[in-house]
Amino acid sequence: MFEKLAICVVVLLLAATQARAETIEDKVQVCAGCHGADGKPVDKTIPTIWGQQAGYLYIQLRDFKRGDRKSDIMQPVASQFERDDMLAIAEYFAQKPWPDLGQPRAPKDVAGKALGASASVGCPACHLDHFQGDGTVPRLAGMGRDYLAKTIADFRTRARGNNPGMSDLMLATPLDDLAALVDYLAGL
Amino acid sequence: MSVKGLAALAAAVGVGLLSGAAIGQEVKQDQKSQVGNANVPPVTQDQLNAADKSTRDFLLTNGNYAQTRFYPGKQISRNNVKNLHVAWIFQTDVKESMETSPIVVDGVMYVTTSFSHVYALDAKTGQQLWHYAHKMGPITTYCCGPNNRGVQVLGDRVYLATLDSKLIALNAKTGEVVWTTNIADPELGYSETMAPTVVKDKVLIGTNGGEYGIRGFVRAYDAKTGKQVWNFNTIPDSTVGVWATKDATGRDMHRNIQAEKDALAKVGDPFAKLGGGVWQNPAVDLATNRIYFVVGNPSPDLDGSNRPGDNLYTDSLVALDLDTGKYVCHFQYIAHDVWDLDAVSPPVLVNVRNKAGKTIPGVIHAGKTGHIYVHDRNDCSLIRFSDAMVPQENMWVLPTKEGARMLPGANGGVEWSPIATDPGQELAYAINLHQPMHYRVESSPYPNGKLWLGGAFTAIAGEKQSGNITAVNYNTGKIKWQVKTPEPMIGGILATAGGLVFTGEGNGKFAAYNSSDGKELWSFHAGAGVNAPPSSYMVGGKQYVVVGAGGNTQVDFKRGNNIIAFTLD
Ligand code: HEC
Ligand code: HEC
Repeated sequence: MFEKLAICVVVLLLAATQARAETIEDKVQVCAGCHGADGKPVDKTIPTIWGQQAGYLYIQLRDFKRGDRKSDIMQPVASQFERDDMLAIAEYFAQKPWPDLGQPRAPKDVAGKALGASASVGCPACHLDHFQGDGTVPRLAGMGRDYLAKTIADFRTRARGNNPGMSDLMLATPLDDLAALVDYLAGL
Repeated sequence: MSVKGLAALAAAVGVGLLSGAAIGQEVKQDQKSQVGNANVPPVTQDQLNAADKSTRDFLLTNGNYAQTRFYPGKQISRNNVKNLHVAWIFQTDVKESMETSPIVVDGVMYVTTSFSHVYALDAKTGQQLWHYAHKMGPITTYCCGPNNRGVQVLGDRVYLATLDSKLIALNAKTGEVVWTTNIADPELGYSETMAPTVVKDKVLIGTNGGEYGIRGFVRAYDAKTGKQVWNFNTIPDSTVGVWATKDATGRDMHRNIQAEKDALAKVGDPFAKLGGGVWQNPAVDLATNRIYFVVGNPSPDLDGSNRPGDNLYTDSLVALDLDTGKYVCHFQYIAHDVWDLDAVSPPVLVNVRNKAGKTIPGVIHAGKTGHIYVHDRNDCSLIRFSDAMVPQENMWVLPTKEGARMLPGANGGVEWSPIATDPGQELAYAINLHQPMHYRVESSPYPNGKLWLGGAFTAIAGEKQSGNITAVNYNTGKIKWQVKTPEPMIGGILATAGGLVFTGEGNGKFAAYNSSDGKELWSFHAGAGVNAPPSSYMVGGKQYVVVGAGGNTQVDFKRGNNIIAFTLD
């Protein structure tokens, strides 16, 4: 339901944007409708892009356009951009502050379970200390809980097929560990 | 000594705290901040050739072109090392994984940090002379941390390779950029973490990317201009090899050769995306004008189904002609690797006894398998392999969907950590990891430069991990002594003519051991993981030992941002 509504909104907004001269502010105006005017996404399954790593944002826009990452919502959005637009948009959002979604810290036992799983797979080897990300690896700390759960599930089914390495790692991690990781990461 | 005490000490000697808050990670904006110039005479090729004899300088990543990590000075010795104390601590602006090998030229030290920063320091006081903060491109794709393992100096230039896959020459006095060359496209999974090796006006560099389906290489660039001189693909056009069924030690690898041959008929030679990164410096044989390096794992790491054949020259020792980059010889340790138990620790040139007992030029490499391999330098052939330095179990069980337990885990044995040798004692010193792991396989097609593991290796919860320091006689293959450590070891080791070896641990311990029997003679707690190779040098008539304490991303040891130098009163 949300998806259908959202698509209508996108189409409308896209039509509106294309009519105008394109400054970066124009190009990103449409994003606020879902990713939030203040960086807080309007729906819990939409990821935070304010303050996210620029390299990662660029790669996602690239992948949506190529169809490597499937999304009926994001594919039409990304398809109107060329590489330089994507890099500029990525830089624009990377410069914004990461929003505080006010998600609760995970209780001690959940955090302990999450850290154990993280040590076993070695998440910080790529997502870095405190899950801040770098380059083409995303920040996970403080990401929306429901989005994290959704995208991890999508990695496991390969519905999100744009990073088979991450799919393999998620398949290698038990479900209860992943549930703990989602709570832990959201609360960081 | 406590961390508090340390801070007070640093404050008392008035250094280290100049560089401001050492929090956060990357300094994106500034290029270069200058406090003073590094007044250092140009480094000549003759000096580099004789680096193994210099007690004043530490000119190459692993001490000298043979990469022995044997420091010839002995002012600090078994008798007095107990009096070793902190001379200074320098705090960098980057608190992330630190793997740098400090380079010292006539009282000036060059160190690097994660995210490809370079600092020039006064080696006597630790005072900053200049700081080069690399402006990182937005796209970086790397494995195992944003590391940098150091620079090398030739003439009046400092050579650096960056995470976004650029080769850069800096002015050694000022830190200004002289030239920049793009090595390869980071969007396809290429990155640089190794220190370049500079020899005869050539800058030698490999590449990372074995986790991303790259085609690996070693290249030579002109030191003056940055133009490419030659390129050697570590993955040749024909990678099939001899269908080896046994590893270097004679153990069956359980390959299904018929299935591989069928796959070959279907998919063809998989060379284009086969990985084969080179993580560490080549050794240079000045007498024969050859270089020796090791090549890392095939892509994808754990899934062999779409890469039939031996996957040459992955998991191999390779020798090339220095002037032309032409192939000389190779030796493959593990054909068609599906465990990521590849070859990363830099090879070392020493004289060794061959099977007939004759002393010949040799080359040795410490593997992730936990063996030290001893080769004939002439044709790369294997003379012997050492006793296993870590427990080995269930080798070579094939990875499964559910996960198959095998030891060693995928980090080793010996990871990228350079070994040290003491030719007088015929000993090689290696630091090892022990991490029981499950090996899992999953199949997926090449993902356009994305992470391509072909499965996962996961540390087994509840199984104890540990590490060790091991001295191996490379002429017999026997372990001479071993010191167990509470955590897996990654970083590096230095041997000295003072009869010592120095190495650090992830828990912050940095210690000196008697190089003949492994007895601990001195130790220090750095407060952050000491996971970098130590160097030694002399300035003002005094010997110093220096090491980075910044922790490690790959094994997740506590991060810090310290360069710590020690000396005697
Ligand atoms: C109609 C709602 C909507 C609009 C408008 C929209 N997005 Fe999205 N965006 C989404 C949703 C939903 C996802 C998650 C897709 C999925 O996981 O399947 C997403 C995902 C993304 C991602 C991936 C983030 C991550 O953490 O993986 C990026 C980057 C992104 N959007 C950027 C943008 C930009 C830039 C714009 C404006 C040019 C924009 N989006 C406009 C809804 C929207
Ligand atoms: C070997 C490197 C590596 C390891 C280890 C790793 N990740 Fe990732 N992860 C990545 C990369 C690269 C991406 C970006 C995926 C893409 O290209 O779309 C990613 C993406 C993600 C995302 C998607 C974020 C978003 O905004 O959509 C989540 C969630 C995630 N990782 C969680 C984890 C967790 C939890 C672990 C440990 C259990 C882990 N990762 C271990 C490399 C890694």
